[in-house]
Amino acid sequence: MTLELSDIRDFLKRHHPFGLLPDGALADLPSRLTARYFRKGSVILDVEQTCLHLHIIRSGAVETRDPSGNLLARLSEGECFGVRAMFRGGKAANRITAIEDCLVYQLPEQDFHALAGQYPQFSYFFELMGGARLRGGMQLIEERDDDQLKLMSLRVSDLIARAVVSLEATATIREAGQRMSSERVSCLLLMAGEKIVGIITDRDLRNRVVALGRDLNEPVSNIMTANPISIRPDAYAFDALLTMTRHNIRHLPVLDDGKPVGVVTTTNLLARQSLSAVYMAGNISKRDTAEGMAEVIAQVPELLSHLIEAGATSQNAGHIVTTLSDSTTARLLMLAEEKFGPPPVPYVWLAGGSQGRQEQTALSDQDNCLILDDAYDAAKHGDYFKAMADYVCDGLNVAGYVYCPGDMMAKTDEWRQPVRVWQQYFNKWIEQPEPKALMLCSVWFDLRPIHGSTEIFDELHRMIRTKANGNRIFLAYMVGNALTHHVPLGFFRNFVMIRGGDHHQTLDMKHNGVIPIVDIARIHALGNGIASVNTYERLHAAMQTSSISQQGARDLLDAYEFISITRLKHQTRQIREGQAPNNFLHPDSLSAFERSHLKDAFSVIKSMQNALETSFGKSGT
Amino acid sequence: MGLRQKIFDSRPYRQIIQRQATGPLRAFYDIPPVSGDKAIRDVEFIALDLETTGLNPKKDEIVSIGWILVRQMAVDFGSCEHLLVRPKADMTESSAIVHHIFDSHVENAPDIGVALHHLLPILAGRVMISHHSPIEVGFLGQACKKYFGAHLQVPTVDTLILALRDVHRRGQPFRPGALKLQNLRKQHNLPPYQAHNALADAIAAAELFLAQMSKRDPKGDLELRDVLR
Repeated sequence: MTLELSDIRDFLKRHHPFGLLPDGALADLPSRLTARYFRKGSVILDVEQTCLHLHIIRSGAVETRDPSGNLLARLSEGECFGVRAMFRGGKAANRITAIEDCLVYQLPEQDFHALAGQYPQFSYFFELMGGARLRGGMQLIEERDDDQLKLMSLRVSDLIARAVVSLEATATIREAGQRMSSERVSCLLLMAGEKIVGIITDRDLRNRVVALGRDLNEPVSNIMTANPISIRPDAYAFDALLTMTRHNIRHLPVLDDGKPVGVVTTTNLLARQSLSAVYMAGNISKRDTAEGMAEVIAQVPELLSHLIEAGATSQNAGHIVTTLSDSTTARLLMLAEEKFGPPPVPYVWLAGGSQGRQEQTALSDQDNCLILDDAYDAAKHGDYFKAMADYVCDGLNVAGYVYCPGDMMAKTDEWRQPVRVWQQYFNKWIEQPEPKALMLCSVWFDLRPIHGSTEIFDELHRMIRTKANGNRIFLAYMVGNALTHHVPLGFFRNFVMIRGGDHHQTLDMKHNGVIPIVDIARIHALGNGIASVNTYERLHAAMQTSSISQQGARDLLDAYEFISITRLKHQTRQIREGQAPNNFLHPDSLSAFERSHLKDAFSVIKSMQNALETSFGKSGT
Repeated sequence: MGLRQKIFDSRPYRQIIQRQATGPLRAFYDIPPVSGDKAIRDVEFIALDLETTGLNPKKDEIVSIGWILVRQMAVDFGSCEHLLVRPKADMTESSAIVHHIFDSHVENAPDIGVALHHLLPILAGRVMISHHSPIEVGFLGQACKKYFGAHLQVPTVDTLILALRDVHRRGQPFRPGALKLQNLRKQHNLPPYQAHNALADAIAAAELFLAQMSKRDPKGDLELRDVLR
């Protein structure tokens, strides 16, 4: 390279993935380029046109449309196009039009493939723009956090510190205590032959034996926890953490094909996790007031920061944060039952919205409802449940889960009703859908029982699934609603003046990123009778159906993870800087690399929204 | 353009000077110039810029030359060259300040005669692009005359003249500075560039030329004679 092309080299260095190339390769690059100029409005590449170059935008902006004319992406300075053509024998897949006057650098195909062959990080970036590139990007980001603990990649089997210590369940309490003492363990598995039948811990000996003055010659089976919850060795450490958090336990036997191979303890996990969700959940269940719980919930942002730094996926982080909301809710309900007495008829308390889907972040309000047994008589039992709902909703508000601005709470009379009324609600929503009403009640299609008699909900849930599944009109209305959330494609930099409008300074990662995917997943679930409410689970289940392609679902999952984790990182950054977390992201705060992946993620959503319309039709709005 | 320049660019004049030319200039004239009716997309161009010790071709000297080829309406970065040239006289202080080229830089550089040996074969059969071409044509012409016995006649596109025609055609008032390379580039949404040497200016002019062609010739059927100076 003549030294004089250093301007071009510096330009390339500033943009991914060229910035990933070693200096030598980068210095060599400018002399392989040619520059072309395209005036605004001209078609640079057309579908099936021969394209023997990778195109890099030096100045200006272009847009990409698929053969049926859907906008896939808007690209600006430093971004590449014609990539698909590089991977399909030099035939352009989409139409590229200059939307501003452009100067474009072209890198010949053979030079592109030579670079891609030599530098994996470079080819990663390009491998089939869209889904595959997203995955590449996430892997790259994860690798950067290599030194950080990754509870996600750690298996339960990695946490087992020593061989199982066990005893026949027929042994006496004394024998069990002696064994634990000699082996220096805090828990003991109790067996009937090969099969595990129970577990006892240090704490059990203290609470169930010493404190009660039991005879040490009693069989240990009298004080053990029978049929303990267990986990498989190939489960992720995170699942172990989750299970322990949910059940508020500190020891988790690991069973391989029913055979005990070890025990995971909170100490195992804590050695790798400074602030523990397990302890926070345990702490919540000890609090007697909402104010007390608020002290614990106040640590959620910090917990979230730790989780994200530790390499948790948004799915994991969402589960853990939600588990704490669940614990708070359940604890408040138990306190309510203590305060107002046992419930006069069975009830089930359900969470909707993000808590229902187990996708909460540092920023959550409450969405919940009460479904009562049909034996409910408003005149006789109304006051009890009204008092209970007020107590719990008010308590949640104090604890940090602010009131739902749309009053979607059990506190509202409408959302505290017996099964038969809920059946009428869902009947009406599904059989006589009105767009506006549907938009408001979408939270009720993401219900998850938190506390009480779960079976009350089961029958209603079955009914919802059957009805929704068969009703194309209802589904078309849901699609209409889902498509009202526009993907903010092409609003960066030069694109602002093109799109016009108000919110170009920031990006609403919730309403323009997360919610559209949640909506898509909900429709595929409802349209296929899928019971899950979690977006991941819904999309995984939908993969097996004909309403979404496997590739489409996978791309959408990647897009969802990328958008969610970007949002969470934004929030944890705000938390660290002492600000209140929000959903509004300045695109400028992202690297060019993240920005281009985010654009890919949005274009995936866009195309999956279009596919939704094809699968289910569209009505209303 | 003036009558004098029309004559210098004319075919009879070329036939006269061709007979006087020696050395590489003779070889240069042996290659026929590009015909004016050729579509510009089929013409090969060479964008060229000089840095000189002053503005008078008769007194001042070339200190550097930068060029780059434009083929099939694309700037080919693999083709660029940048030559320092050793002037006969010492560098004046003011020109050194402008170009950041000092005596020490050009001590070992070839003189303009050697530089022309390298340049003329590349210039032959091509069309020169320059922003304000009298400088390039004047200085190269003087050097050719001095070393190889005749003036240089090369078909030339002047991006400044093209820009001036745009202004006239649109009937816009003329703003001072509007015809500067940097400002013209900005008008066409071309990126800012660092005007640090002759090659950077040559590249800047080449890209501007592409923009100007793209605006006046969307279909690609413009002929060379429509854009020559």
